[in-house]
This record gives sequence, structure tokens and C-alpha cells, in this order.
Amino acid sequence: MKAQPQNTRAGRPSEVSAATADVELLQAIAAGSEPAFAELRGRYRAAVARVCATVGDAEREDCEQEVFARVWRKAALFDPTRGSAAAWLLTVARRTASNFHASRSRTPTPSSDEPAAGATDPADVDAFWLDAALVRLSEQERTVIELAYYRDLSEQAIASQLHVPLGSVKSWKRRGLNRLATLLGEELA
Amino acid sequence: MTHEAAWTRLPDLLDDRDDAALLAHVQVCADCQRQLFLLGRVDRLLRESASGRRLPRRRATRAWILAAAAALAAAAAALALILPQQTRSHGFALRTGMGRLVGEATMGGGDSHNVSLALTARHLPIDHGQMFVLWAGESGSSIQVGRFMVDRTGSCRVRFNLPGNRSWRHFWVTEPERPRAIVAST
Repeated sequence: MKAQPQNTRAGRPSEVSAATADVELLQAIAAGSEPAFAELRGRYRAAVARVCATVGDAEREDCEQEVFARVWRKAALFDPTRGSAAAWLLTVARRTASNFHASRSRTPTPSSDEPAAGATDPADVDAFWLDAALVRLSEQERTVIELAYYRDLSEQAIASQLHVPLGSVKSWKRRGLNRLATLLGEELA
Repeated sequence: MTHEAAWTRLPDLLDDRDDAALLAHVQVCADCQRQLFLLGRVDRLLRESASGRRLPRRRATRAWILAAAAALAAAAAALALILPQQTRSHGFALRTGMGRLVGEATMGGGDSHNVSLALTARHLPIDHGQMFVLWAGESGSSIQVGRFMVDRTGSCRVRFNLPGNRSWRHFWVTEPERPRAIVAST
């Protein structure tokens, strides 16, 4: 039985938005905020899915659910002085996926109550963070950036593909990149 | 150019779009320098992420042409470093007092008044902070080219503009508060 946010654990009222930092979300989740949990889950769903993809199709969905169930249960253990929120979440996701692998081979590994953020490769944390940060952009900003970087399309080609003026593409790309840089600044602060 | 206008257009610098007014503002604006540093890192993250996700090209021949173009560009860049004085675009290397390579730069044509300088720093020592100042000198005079911020590995990519009417021969990097403490030089 997986732990899920319960109404009985409803915490203090909190205002959660796309602008709320990951660290603040985890702290709100630790206090029982379901809106904060929903926001964090929305941001990191794709990033967690990428980690859980390693356990195979049959258990992938269970793995994803278990990751967020652990986040809900263990958010109070997150210590921002020991690492970033993305690093902590990546550690939780990897440890959960690892347990799924272990259970398949019938050699369960001990599970620590306190995931350590410092053991992860910074490059992996960056990639994990980027997946979540892209979710926080507007749809237009995210689409333009993904087409520019992941499809290697020029701004003119993007404008043609989306049937929008070139100026709109330039504007969305600038706004999206600036937003990502600002989020990265918050992450590094 | 207002700060707001410059801030909005900072991502343009990632695409090597030379804009003298924008670069002039960035040179004197610490907030824009920091944002540009962060933009450079975001750009690198996206490119690294793209290498694992990029969809295959519609036509293999186009990938082949791009690979050939990249090889030609790399050869041209190497040639620019080998023959620095014989071409309009040239480069230089920055080394610490112990001879360790910590930066490479290329200079190219900007506009009628300026030349652009693209600096790639790698593993600068960050014992005294992550901010540095790049200086340029010619016979008997020097100017502060600009400040830049490196990441936790001492690395960054940054662009500056230099007055094009002088022949800059010597470059060096110092800490911001200690202009006599040279961290690296040509």
C-alpha cells in the first residue's frame, strides 16, 4: 500500500504557484501541503519517469508512484544545506528504482530513511533539474526551446512549423531562456 | 539601451549575434553579467540534453553535410589559432604562472568601432571567489575589458567587445579587488 497525501494531513494554507521554488515546495510538503505536492509532482513527473524507465515497462508506473509517495513521506528529511532539491529528488528516484531492480533479483537492498544529495553526479542532477524546469515554462516558450535545441531548427524554421510570426518565436525563445536562467540562479543560490 | 531592453535580449548573445549596444551595457552591468553566465550554463545544459534526445534527421545526407561543415569549421578555427597574425580573426591562450592553460579566446571582427572577443575559461582557481576581471594592454596602456563569473569548476564562456582602433597585444586576468594579483596571462 503506497502512501498518498491524505486529507487528514492537510497542512497550513499555502499559496503555491509556478514561481514557488522547489525548496519551498518541499518545505510546504513537509508541513502537509497537498497543493505543493501536486505542483512538485507536475514539475518532476517527466524527470522521474526518465529514471524509472530503467526498471522496465511492467513496473515503471509503480516506480513513479513509489517515488512520489516517498517524497510525500520523507520531505521533512530534506535539508537544503546539504544539497539542492533536485539532487535530493534524484536520489530518492534512483534509490526507489534501485529497490525495484533489487526486488526483481530477490536481493533487497537496505533503504536509508535519509537520502543523501551529495552522492549524485552534478551533471545528472543538472539534467534532472532541466527536465523539471522546462515544465515551468509556458507552452509556447517550452515548444520553441525544444524545437530549437532538440530538433536543431532555426527560428525561421520554427516559425514556419508553428505557423506564427518570426517575431513571436524570437520573443518566446528569449523569454524561455531568461526564465530558465533565473530558475537556475534560484537553484544555485 | 535600457537595462530592461538589454535583459530581454541577453539570450541573443548565445547565438553570436553581435550587438554593440547590448555588449556595452553588459560590460558595465553586474546583474546582466550574472544572467549571461546563467544563460550560458542553461545553453550548455540544453545542448548536452539534446545530444541524448535529438531526433534523427529526415535525411542522412543533411547530417553528413553538417558533419562536414563542422569539420571545416573546426579546421578553420585551428588555422585561426595557428596563424594568429595573418588573418583578421585570431586567438590567444591564458596560462597561470605555473604554465597551466586556463583559458582560450578568439577575437574577430565586430563592427567599425569594435572587435569581439570570445573567452572560454577552464578551471580558473576559485580560492578567492568566482568573479574575475579580464584586462587588455598595448604599448604602455591598458584597459579593463570586463568582469566575468565562472562556475564551481572555474569555467565559463563569455563575450566582450574591445575598441577596434588599437592593437591589443597582451591580455591578463586578475581578481576584481586585487588588480595587481594576476591569475593568468598571455
